[in-house]
Amino acid sequence: MRKLLLLMIAFLPVIACAQGFQVNLAGQKQIGMGHTGTGLLQDGASIYFNPGAMAMLPENYIQAGMSPLFFKSAFNPSGTNDVYHNADKLATPFSGYAVFGPKSSWWKLGLGVYTPFGGLTNWGNSWEGKYVLESLDLKAIYFQPTLSIKLADFISIGGGFVYNRASVNLTRAIPLADATGADGQAQLTGNGKGYGWNAGVFIKTEAGITIGIDYRSKVNTTINSGNAIFKVPASVQANFPQPNTFTSGIPLPSTTTLGFGFYPSKQWTLALDANLVGWHVYKALAFDYASNTSTLQDTYSPRLYRDAFSVRGGAEYKAADKFAIRAGGGYASAAAPDGYVTPEVPDANRYYLTGGLGYKIANRLDVDISFEFEHLFSRTQTNIESQLAGTFRSDVYIPGLSLSYHW
Amino acid sequence: MNKFKNIFILAAGILSFAACKPEFKTPAPNTGAANFSRYIAVGNSLTAGYADGGLYLEGQQNSYPSIIGKQMQQIGGGAFTQPLFTDAQSNGSGYIKLTGFDANGSPITANVTDKLAIRGFVTIPGFGDVTTYTKYSGDINNYGVPGIKLLNITYAPYGNLNGYYERLLPGAAGTNSTTYLDFVTAKSFTFFSNWLGNNDALGYATSGGVGDVLTDKATFASLYTLLISRLTANNQKGVVATIPDVTAIPYFNTVTPALILATVQKSSPSVQAIYINAKSNNDNSNTTYAARPATANDLIVLTFPTSKIGTLVSTVAGMLPYGLTPYSPIENQYVLDNNEVAITKDFVISYNTTIKAVAASKGIAVNDMYTFLNNIKANGLVVDGVSLSSNYITGGLFSLDGVHLTPRGYAVVANQFIKAINTQYGSNIPLANVASYRSVKFP
Repeated sequence: MRKLLLLMIAFLPVIACAQGFQVNLAGQKQIGMGHTGTGLLQDGASIYFNPGAMAMLPENYIQAGMSPLFFKSAFNPSGTNDVYHNADKLATPFSGYAVFGPKSSWWKLGLGVYTPFGGLTNWGNSWEGKYVLESLDLKAIYFQPTLSIKLADFISIGGGFVYNRASVNLTRAIPLADATGADGQAQLTGNGKGYGWNAGVFIKTEAGITIGIDYRSKVNTTINSGNAIFKVPASVQANFPQPNTFTSGIPLPSTTTLGFGFYPSKQWTLALDANLVGWHVYKALAFDYASNTSTLQDTYSPRLYRDAFSVRGGAEYKAADKFAIRAGGGYASAAAPDGYVTPEVPDANRYYLTGGLGYKIANRLDVDISFEFEHLFSRTQTNIESQLAGTFRSDVYIPGLSLSYHW
Repeated sequence: MNKFKNIFILAAGILSFAACKPEFKTPAPNTGAANFSRYIAVGNSLTAGYADGGLYLEGQQNSYPSIIGKQMQQIGGGAFTQPLFTDAQSNGSGYIKLTGFDANGSPITANVTDKLAIRGFVTIPGFGDVTTYTKYSGDINNYGVPGIKLLNITYAPYGNLNGYYERLLPGAAGTNSTTYLDFVTAKSFTFFSNWLGNNDALGYATSGGVGDVLTDKATFASLYTLLISRLTANNQKGVVATIPDVTAIPYFNTVTPALILATVQKSSPSVQAIYINAKSNNDNSNTTYAARPATANDLIVLTFPTSKIGTLVSTVAGMLPYGLTPYSPIENQYVLDNNEVAITKDFVISYNTTIKAVAASKGIAVNDMYTFLNNIKANGLVVDGVSLSSNYITGGLFSLDGVHLTPRGYAVVANQFIKAINTQYGSNIPLANVASYRSVKFP
């Protein structure tokens, strides 16, 4: 008679994904120079930075690199002295490129595999925001076959088709205590795919300045039939039907880049890039569960991201034939507006400083190492949806290493 | 090869960088105009940590005063000791736990009867049987006594009538003569919280307006003035809380007349109304009652045995189904009818006017739980990603008895006290982490 519907047991929509978490780690030479490269002819990473430049590359390349990412984030709830640290988890963005064309030909073909978006956060199951997020592991791997054509000695164009393979694994606590007082847990895991393209143009001016323009399209990524696993006390399990699946879509935004290269002397290369990332496509995160109950409803969670920009500069100094030193830096604006910052992506305005070394091990083999330090400005927020209030501080440390074989 | 050595050194440098964590500067502890070296809590069952229809160890450990005490310690507050039940008697008075749900989705509960701290029963002449509990003789910061009214604080024999109070007193059952007011002020203290007064209205309300009486408004005012002047006799600072609106708690909002009627109509569609025995007017001194159909403004208590509905009972008009005719209405003690609701509200508002006026006259902080709980009833509350409400079980704030709170509810209350203290005295007691306290346990 005391009829109880377990109505809407505090099941806030599950959040999402990558912002602020655009992972700009697509090539060690470019990282070393502050993520510039759209207006340069460095190596096979042009497939990512500017397919239009590929046909101008003097050689063919096979290269691979990895940039282990240490994401150090901490949260201080408002009005408390508590500090919760994100657990040390190592994300491993990588990139691999192959570029081939006949010597001195007007065309080149290439294939790039890289990870432009992703996130790896683990706040644990005992922190204040556990009902918002415990952990998130999101990976997006882009596969991009590419063709580039030299129209004239001073201009080349190129474009590639993008296939995105994404995976997500998200956990959060459910506020339903069992007989020992322990929380329930939701886990959403799944794979998705999406399609897009990447095109650019590269120009060598008479003044000796090189210019690149690149557009990477948005990639609508859909996760179908992901597993929705709900661990709750047995007496309320019927409210969370098992097995269950979910469908969700994540729009990965477009990026427009204008880049310049300057060559003051034979030893020096200077680069400047400006980016506009079309985050406005990320309006909401919605989850559609295959089996709904009055407790487990489909969710729609506004995100209302806004477009973000970044400016970057970098320099390379060829100290000797075999040896190059690189440095750079940049500034990027936050995509998450006030009131929509969430612990899976504690987004904020940020700057980064980078450095790198290049060394020619053998005639055709380069090894490049890079290091990046990224500092996100402290951001104090009350999330409108969860009312989780506090200050996020994050720093990112990213060493990296790549090998390039060229001929 | 030197280059590789350099690379190695660089890599080592990188890894040591990677060990750095972002740091926060915590504000310097500041007690403001208050002194938290000995904080005492004065109050009733809510203060004691009563939950799920009983007082037991886990509830005590999550009482709002213990949470406040713990947070005060972060800025240099003193030890906070509670009259805890032992581990061997951790279930204290016994309580109810949830064992499941029936086919209708209604909760099924069971009594917890092991590991009790019950010492025995004594018969107090002129009063009746009193359950006594294992004595506690240690230091006390939390003086919460389940059942106590403001009305009782100057009554010398009260220690013989309330087993929870008797437990804290040194004398044998039946021989105590220390008033509650003297007891709590016997040892010096620097800061107090006081949340007395709930039972002066709640006792009347939970018994459907028949088993108890509301404390007279003028008596309440004079006792409250006396209480606060004693608590501030040495210029101690403190915080008081207002009395919640009784209609804001699930005890009165879960079993509704509409729900009973809908259930009856499933088997007997012709039934048009549920009848209650209701007060005929809103004059507290007039005791005329008459049967009438129940409306949404009449509140049925959570403990009403709904199985009685429709059973044949003997009436002046013969055997008739219970609750379904004017001759066999739902009995008075199960119903706080709309007139009784109006009377209770009027008294609670009067009590709260007194509480706020007395606090203002002494410069004491006020935690307005009346307004806070009414806001939750109207709008809910989202904290740390959890939606809380005044609903029974699902709301997360109220325990299985529908009156007292869950640990999470007590944590929310503790934070309201802390905010009121910080605002009044300029201190910076950090807030408690509400997410780390549980709601109702499900099997």
